[in-house]
Amino acid sequence: MTTKGEILIIDDDPDFCEIAKAALEKASFSVRCACNGPQGLAMMRQQKPNLVFLDVIMVMPDEGVYVSEEIARDPALRDVPVVIASSVVNSPYAGYFPTDTPLHVHKFLDKPIPMQKLVEVANELAWQKPRS
Amino acid sequence: MRGRNPGPDLSVQEQLPFESELIARLGWLIRLRWLAVAGMVLVIGLIALWFPQPLAFGPLWGVTLVIGLYNTGFALYLRSLRQDRSGQDRLRHATRFACTQIVLDLVSLAVLVYFSGGVENPMILFFVFHVIIASILLPRGVSYLMAGLASLLIAAVVGSQSTGLSPHYHLPLLEQELNLEAIHILVIVMTMAVTLFLVAYLTTSIMTRLRERDRELWESNLTCQIRSGELEELNRELVRVDQERTRFMVLVTHELRAPINTIYSALDLAVSGYAPPEKTRQMLERAQSRADDLLVLIGDLLNLTRVREQEAGTETAELVQLEELLQDAVDFVQVEVEERGISLSVEIEPHLSPVNALPDQMKLVWTNLISNAIKYNRPGGRIEILLEQDERRVTGAVYDTGIGIDSDDLPHVFDEFYRAANAREISPHGTGVGLAIVRRIIENWGGEIEAASDPGIGTRFTFSLPRADAERIPA
Repeated sequence: MTTKGEILIIDDDPDFCEIAKAALEKASFSVRCACNGPQGLAMMRQQKPNLVFLDVIMVMPDEGVYVSEEIARDPALRDVPVVIASSVVNSPYAGYFPTDTPLHVHKFLDKPIPMQKLVEVANELAWQKPRS
Repeated sequence: MRGRNPGPDLSVQEQLPFESELIARLGWLIRLRWLAVAGMVLVIGLIALWFPQPLAFGPLWGVTLVIGLYNTGFALYLRSLRQDRSGQDRLRHATRFACTQIVLDLVSLAVLVYFSGGVENPMILFFVFHVIIASILLPRGVSYLMAGLASLLIAAVVGSQSTGLSPHYHLPLLEQELNLEAIHILVIVMTMAVTLFLVAYLTTSIMTRLRERDRELWESNLTCQIRSGELEELNRELVRVDQERTRFMVLVTHELRAPINTIYSALDLAVSGYAPPEKTRQMLERAQSRADDLLVLIGDLLNLTRVREQEAGTETAELVQLEELLQDAVDFVQVEVEERGISLSVEIEPHLSPVNALPDQMKLVWTNLISNAIKYNRPGGRIEILLEQDERRVTGAVYDTGIGIDSDDLPHVFDEFYRAANAREISPHGTGVGLAIVRRIIENWGGEIEAASDPGIGTRFTFSLPRADAERIPA
């Protein structure tokens, strides 16, 4: 079956992973999930996705920030669009999110994310970067 | 509980107003004496220059010199008094010093008057000034003594000269000698004495009132300083409590937001049609499950809030038999234990003493500890519960053969909303509040709790509470 592209969701919340996966698959994307940053980076290097939805607060309060920096540093991954999907702004860890340095992030979605918005963002970003 | 305030601490090494006033006045008295010496030099010098009629200039210059000398000594002594002594010692020395100065001044004045006309000399009124100074600086009794001394000196000077017992040094401006009858001398001496005692009485009365008010003001000021310190301390405590409350609120909202996010997303997926039909029911069930989690979290938060609000002693303690509540908690989890194939053993020392606590709270302690031991245990694992006592405390322990707690996580397991990484893997939707509730309950009733763990082998939670009858047992 052909898909519009492959999306990787890096989030430690299994509920979000499952719900987002269901919505994105319905919109004809192929979706994989990783429950933490290191696992997500390993999956990206194993098979490069067209788009990454990335949570910020996982095992570490700034784990998503670290992952986005790693993606930017890796020449093989830095062209993959990254969308932050997090509720960090309204969390006690908001201070961990850097506001003074540019991050390798294309969009920022605040949870809870309407599924329509999620699919719109996927449609906008995932197909533009065909896998190399 | 805050005790009744006993009033200002007068032992504080603050200089009392009377003491500081006395020290200041001693300096003022010395300066005044220098002015008097200068005046005496000027007047005696002018008289010697303008009036050829001989006066007893030798003794007058002598008295002036003596006054100058002892005033120099006084100035030096005052400097050492200010530097070397403190507190009550300084006050005692200052009082003696003031007495010495006034006695010497009275004697000097008497000698001066004696050699400059006696009763003819208007300077005899200067005795009044000295008594006023004594009444300002010294206690009431000493002031009367000074008034008495001044009266005696006046009587001696006037009486001896007027009765011819000693020579009379006539003032140069008067053309003829004052020949006073004995009755006149007596009236003059008596009038001066009455005047001096009256002045001493009036001045000391005014000074006593002033000193009382000064002391009240000083005490009031000291009380204000103490109260101000207490208020500052209270304010710091309020700021700390407020920061703690804010942190708690932020954590609570974050924990509430997570399940609501899921419920929102699951319902949105089902309603918006983005879920395939076969997943719609699954998403609705997920939303329901997370709503159940939310209710559990709210229940835990309510328990935590109640326990946080309670300070030990504000609730009326009951005599609680921990073994009875343990049995209730074990009965409550029996089905779950059997389903997971866990063996649960309970060992209770007979004839346990009760503890002071609330039954509902202690039941919550047992339920939370045993639920954790089940949740993080392996299927077919083991739970051992021990309840025993020594002379002063009742000790409960719950041991499990579960996943254990990493040494980095162990110090934080009783923190509110803290969840170890391996615990999140096993139970993603735990609240992280249960052990925080347990610790607060145990500590609120004067107990202690600790956790020990071997990761991958098991965990042991041990708590102890004072026996209700411990006060009657000698240590």
